[in-house]
This record gives sequence, structure tokens and C-alpha cells, in this order.
Amino acid sequence: MSMKLFIHASLEQERRVERGAMAVTAGVDIGSTASKAVVLIDGKTAGQIIGPSSTNPKRTAREIYNSALDHAGVSAADVAYVVGTGYGRTQVEFADKNVSEITCHGRGAHFLCPTARTVIDIGGQDTKAVCIDSEGNLLDFVMNDKCAAGTGRFLEAMARSMELPVEEMGQHYFTGGDPCTITSMCSVFAESEVINLINDGVELPRIVKGLLLSLAVRVSSLARRLGIIEDVVMTGGVAKNKGVYDAIEKKLKIKMKSFGDTDPQLVGALGAALVAADFAGAGTVSG
Amino acid sequence: MSRVSETGFSGLLDLPLNRLVDKARDEGGRIIGYTCSYVPEPLISVDGLVPIRMRAPGVSGTPLADTYMSSVICSYTRSILEFALDGFYNELDGWVFTASCDHLRRLYDNLSYLENPPFNYMIDLPHKISEPAISWFHEELKLLAGALSADFGVDTGPDALRNAIAKLNSFNAILREIGEMRKEDTPPISGRDFHEIVAACASSPKYLLKDKICKYHESLKRNDGTDDYRARLMLVGSQLDDPEYISVIESVGGLVVADRCCLGSFPGLAHIECGTDPLRSLAEHYLAKTSCPRMMEEFDSRIENIIGIAREYRVDGIIIETMKFCDCWGVDSGLLVSALRDRNIPVLRLEREYSLSGEGQIRTRVQAFIESMGK
Repeated sequence: MSMKLFIHASLEQERRVERGAMAVTAGVDIGSTASKAVVLIDGKTAGQIIGPSSTNPKRTAREIYNSALDHAGVSAADVAYVVGTGYGRTQVEFADKNVSEITCHGRGAHFLCPTARTVIDIGGQDTKAVCIDSEGNLLDFVMNDKCAAGTGRFLEAMARSMELPVEEMGQHYFTGGDPCTITSMCSVFAESEVINLINDGVELPRIVKGLLLSLAVRVSSLARRLGIIEDVVMTGGVAKNKGVYDAIEKKLKIKMKSFGDTDPQLVGALGAALVAADFAGAGTVSG
Repeated sequence: MSRVSETGFSGLLDLPLNRLVDKARDEGGRIIGYTCSYVPEPLISVDGLVPIRMRAPGVSGTPLADTYMSSVICSYTRSILEFALDGFYNELDGWVFTASCDHLRRLYDNLSYLENPPFNYMIDLPHKISEPAISWFHEELKLLAGALSADFGVDTGPDALRNAIAKLNSFNAILREIGEMRKEDTPPISGRDFHEIVAACASSPKYLLKDKICKYHESLKRNDGTDDYRARLMLVGSQLDDPEYISVIESVGGLVVADRCCLGSFPGLAHIECGTDPLRSLAEHYLAKTSCPRMMEEFDSRIENIIGIAREYRVDGIIIETMKFCDCWGVDSGLLVSALRDRNIPVLRLEREYSLSGEGQIRTRVQAFIESMGK
């Protein structure tokens, strides 16, 4: 597999390996679209990688883990505990335990923003709203995974129909013009609407804005079912889309808390590494 | 925890009408299909009648049924019609329905058009449990008894009914005892396996299964059980006749120790008190004990019933499974979730289709639910 890996330079600088008494744990998040790994040394992020998921999740997990270890400058033998998470969590063969991504996103979000009580996670194939307590423990959640509407897949499909790189959708959102109204809840029919709008000569930024607002409506509706308790944070790959972020804030009528420089797509893997640290600290590590 | 079935009953669930049904027919039995817990089983067990709870195992899509039914009819109803149209139930001698929900009423309508089997009967069903309602339901049962006598020439008199009730009580007592073993710290039977035997018993002529179920019961007494689970769960919901659904729940560490499903242990296995008029006793029992959300003014008793079972079986959390488009459970489940949470009982609501799908999504939700309980 030719995996394109994205190493975060800012954390490269933070890498701090103190061999000896260091506690090394890792989280590996095998999602539907992207796979992520985070290595913690003494509770600080020392290595983190994002790469594409593949049809061979076991190999992807191994490769992404090894890359994160390389990034952190440690070997697998140094790692006290590994937690696998994401839809492919059971495929992380070398993990000591697998934990649901719902718990991991909550834990990671709390670590980065201790005042967070509601986590909105938009991944490739599902959207979740997670309620956590002041310790980052999972209290409740709602998920949409029966339909692509409101997921990263929805955005990808729409971007494809507009021959637009998905990464550029966010900037089009802010380039002015009234949003088009996209009414279809179904991704397939929404795509038909987009094609009709293109054929009517409507400018792309207006269509993009309409799409992102329609996604925000679906996500906000899901989050409201759970009940919005501030602070609200957003995780997952779609959180990097500033247009979606802004649209959700407008629909929920709140300002969400930012994670600063931390990539929101890594929060699940970070949470898994933190859960791994709990298990390592609790003396439940075998071997 | 994931366990392979060791009950020896799994082969009875592969077909809607299994080999024991064929055997009963060969022995002269007349097979009566039914689809709802309000159908009084003893009344369709008299004098050589054999009641079989209808299932559509392995159904993959409902293209034929979708021609005749709206897409907002629940997938259990559509699956049964699909199998009926496909001829899977051609060996049935009759169907008995209750007007329990509009979806099953539409199934009755469609089967009436098919005229296969010719005996297709609908019992009207009151929405309240009261003295007049019981009397009304009693009258309905009298009409059914008359129709059965007329069509099949069977004896539906008090002695025949008393005998049928006694046999069902005797059979269900064994299943209840097996179910009560799940109260133990180390239950000798998983939720999956328990559901398998309950479903197998509902899908088979009971008189042909009694020895087997007795032996299985004895074998469980010698089983040390398992403590390989993270959380004791109760399953609440409507029609569920696929043990693999519970297997998915148990694959992430839950152990289903109690259930309140249409084809489960509560209240379907309850002892029937038989008075001087056995038909009246059936009316009282089935109207009062079935505990379906279709009944009005019964929410409080349903919730108390569920909480009572949850306490008795020391469950850590409750999973409410509702079939998509089920009017009764769809509405009730929202209220149930709130009421259970008000009592500090962790609860997870899962929507599903009749046939098992989206196992990964179920696992993620159940695992997160167990994690949210700190288990």
C-alpha cells in the first residue's frame, strides 16, 4: 500500500523522549476514510499520523502505528499499552484493548478542552454527538450512520459532482453570495439538485454554501436530540472545513471551542492513547 | 463475549416451517400460523391444531411485498408477506391474527386476497384492559372457537381448552426455569442461546420438543456458567426472532440476562391461571399480561413491569430495540427512555430492521453504551 502520511511539523518540534521512566502509550483509530495514530510519552503527544484507510485495515493499522512510533522516536517494545478504536478497531491486532470511538472522541476532546461537555464528531461515514462529564467520561451519545447525509462522504460526493477538491469547499463558503437551498435529505437526490443548479448556471460558491448549510442543519438536528451543553467542540476530519464549522455554529447559535493547533481529525486516536494511559496506569497491562 | 450456539436448537430456526412442523403434519396435525402475542396459543392448540409463530428467517429484501405494501409498513410485516407470496407458508392450514397493529392488519388483508390458506381469521382486540374489554375479547374468542370448530371440526370445549392450557403451562414452566437461571452471577446460558430456544419452541410443535427441552434444562444445571461479561443487559422491544441480533450485542461484552420482547420470556412465558371458564381465563390472561404499547393507559404498568424485571435480574442497563416504522414501539420507546433515565437506569435505544443488518453500527453503539456505564 502506498500510504501518504501527513506528519505534523509543530508536534515534531515538541517531540520529547525521555528514555528510562517514560510511559509510552498509543491510540490507533481506523476510520472508514482515514486512519490515525497518536503516541503519547508521559501524557504528551510525541507522534501522530493521519493516512488513508484501505481495504486491508490490519495492514493499515500496522503501518500507521509504525509511522507514529517512528515519528515519536520510540519502538513498539517501549509502548506500555495500545488501544484500538474506530470502525476498524477490532482489526488493530496488536492493540491491548479496543474501545469505541465514541468514548475515545469524548476523552480526547476533554483532554484538549477540559470545559467541553458536548462533542460533535463528523467522520467519513457517520456523525455523532457525544455528551461528556467534567472528567471526560461518556454520559450519552446519538449517532447517525444509516445515511450518508451529514457525513464526510456527503461532502466528498458533492465536491465530486462539482469537480471541486473537497478541501476547497470551506473557502468557497466564505466568498459571498446567497446560499442556494438544498432541500433533499438524501445524498443521491442532493447530488441531483447540485447538478440541476450547475446546469442553471448558478455560481459554485452559492451551491457550496447551500450544501454546507444543509449538512449543518442535519448535524445540528442530531446534536439537539442529545441536548446541547456548552462548551461544544467539534472533532473529525470534517471539523477542518471552516465553512461547515461556521455553518454549525450559526445553526446551533453558539460559538464552539477550538482545539488551537491540534488537528481535530486526531482527537479519536488521542483519546485512545489517553485511555491506554489509564489502563497502563491502572496496572492492567499484560506482558 | 461471543459464543457459538451449543443448544442444539439452531437447526429449527433455519426455515419458517421446520422439519418438526412437517412431522406434525404427517401425524395429522393442522398447522395454524400466528404473528402476535395476543393470539391465545392454547385456543389454537386444541384437538390436533398446532400453533406456529411465523418468522421469515434469512429474508433478503421484500420486492414482492413492496408491490402490495407501503414502504412505511414495518419490515417484519413485509418480510412475512414476502415469504407468503414466495410460497414458504403453503403448508399452513390457517392463520390467526389479532388487530394488534395496523401493519399486521394489512398483512391479514393481503393474505385474505391470496386465499391461501383459506382459513384466515382476525380477532378484534380492545385497546384497554377493563372488565368490559375482557368481556368483549372473550366474545371474540368465542367467535374464533366457533370458526375453528366449523372449519377444522375440532373440539374447543372447556375440557379441551383446560388440557391445552395445562400443556402450555407445563412447557412454559421449563422455559421459565431456564430463563430464571439467568439471575445467577454466572448464568449458564447466554442471552443469544436463550432466545434461540424460545424462538425454536415458538416455531415448532411443542409436544415434539418437550423431551429435548427437558434434557437441555437438565444439562444447564450441570453447567458452571460464565462470568465472561462486562455488563448484564435487558432487552426490551417488539418482534425479535433472530438470536444473532443478541449475539452481536453479546460480542462486545454484554450479557442479555432478561428480555421483554414479543418472542421473549416476559410476559410470553407467564403461567395462565385457568378458572371455571377457560375461554374467559384466556381472555383475561392474554389481554392483561401481554403488555404491548398498543394498549392505552398502561404505560405506568409497563414501565413498572420492566423496572421490576431489571431489578430482579440485576441488570446494569436496558437496550430498547424498536423496528423501524413500528407505530406502537416507536412512540412508546421515547417515553420509555425518559422514564428509565428518570429512575437512573442506563438505557440505549436501537432502531433496527427485521433482518439483521449493520452489525458494526450495533457493536459500536452497544460497546459505547457499556463503556458509558464504566464497565
